[in-house]
Amino acid sequence: MNADTPQLVISRLFDAPRELVYRAFTDPDHLAAWWGPTGNSLPRDEIEFDVRPGGFQRWTEVNEASPDLRVHVHVALTDVTDGELLEGLMHVGGRLQEGIEPFRTRLRVEFHDASEGRTRLEIRQWLPEHLTHPSNEGWRQAFTKLDAALANPRILAADHRKADAWQS
Amino acid sequence: MAGTDQLSAVFSALADPTRRAILAELAERDATVTDLTASFSISMPAVSRHLKVLERAALISRSRSGKWRESRLEAAPLREAADWIEHYRRFWDSSLTRLDAHLAAVQAAGQATDQMADDTREPE
Repeated sequence: MNADTPQLVISRLFDAPRELVYRAFTDPDHLAAWWGPTGNSLPRDEIEFDVRPGGFQRWTEVNEASPDLRVHVHVALTDVTDGELLEGLMHVGGRLQEGIEPFRTRLRVEFHDASEGRTRLEIRQWLPEHLTHPSNEGWRQAFTKLDAALANPRILAADHRKADAWQS
Repeated sequence: MAGTDQLSAVFSALADPTRRAILAELAERDATVTDLTASFSISMPAVSRHLKVLERAALISRSRSGKWRESRLEAAPLREAADWIEHYRRFWDSSLTRLDAHLAAVQAAGQATDQMADDTREPE
């Protein structure tokens, strides 16, 4: 698994002070008010937070449109700086949608002061290992061919002359 | 070969927005260069160059027969990964829109409470 490059990067400004935005992620009542798409809800008695390095956040997600599903989320917090940073490994399991296996995804949320009392949220998320593991046959084939292409700078140079955006 | 570097290389190959858009189009249906040129505001040779890059990375294949060569999205694992990313992008977009509304409501309620406190104090 790639340790450095997140595959999902989201940046968003909120018209609220940093402490409040941080609390929205670390206070169970706050999180339950906004987490998940419309129709999703988090039973209050199944939310348990122990926010500190080495701590955890866990909750259950239910959706009125799919009452059979119960998604259990457990975030093992690896890095926590009060008001500034939450990072951990998010385990998603329970009764998931058909075809979805339980998975783990690394997640990092940074809270930054922005102008005029606003807060810039920076979210980084990494693909689950099973989707990036090099033993995956499709990836292996893609890599082999890509390696061949990268090993042939002449062909790449030909592409480069007019195409603008191969960034290696 | 280390998987990490190779994975980075594939994602680098996907750094170009036009190529990502082409893959998204091919995720829907197979398409010829002409089809793709009609969908994007770039020239046919430019589309061809992007397709060559994608083909070399084994992300697409192209039919060999006939005048109208169709491109097909090949990399099932890549599609799975792209689907996963898209799922979470939508998840965050929806959640953060709710968070925005939640923060506004909390602050409005806070101000109302402060206002009430001020009103209560006023007679002093």
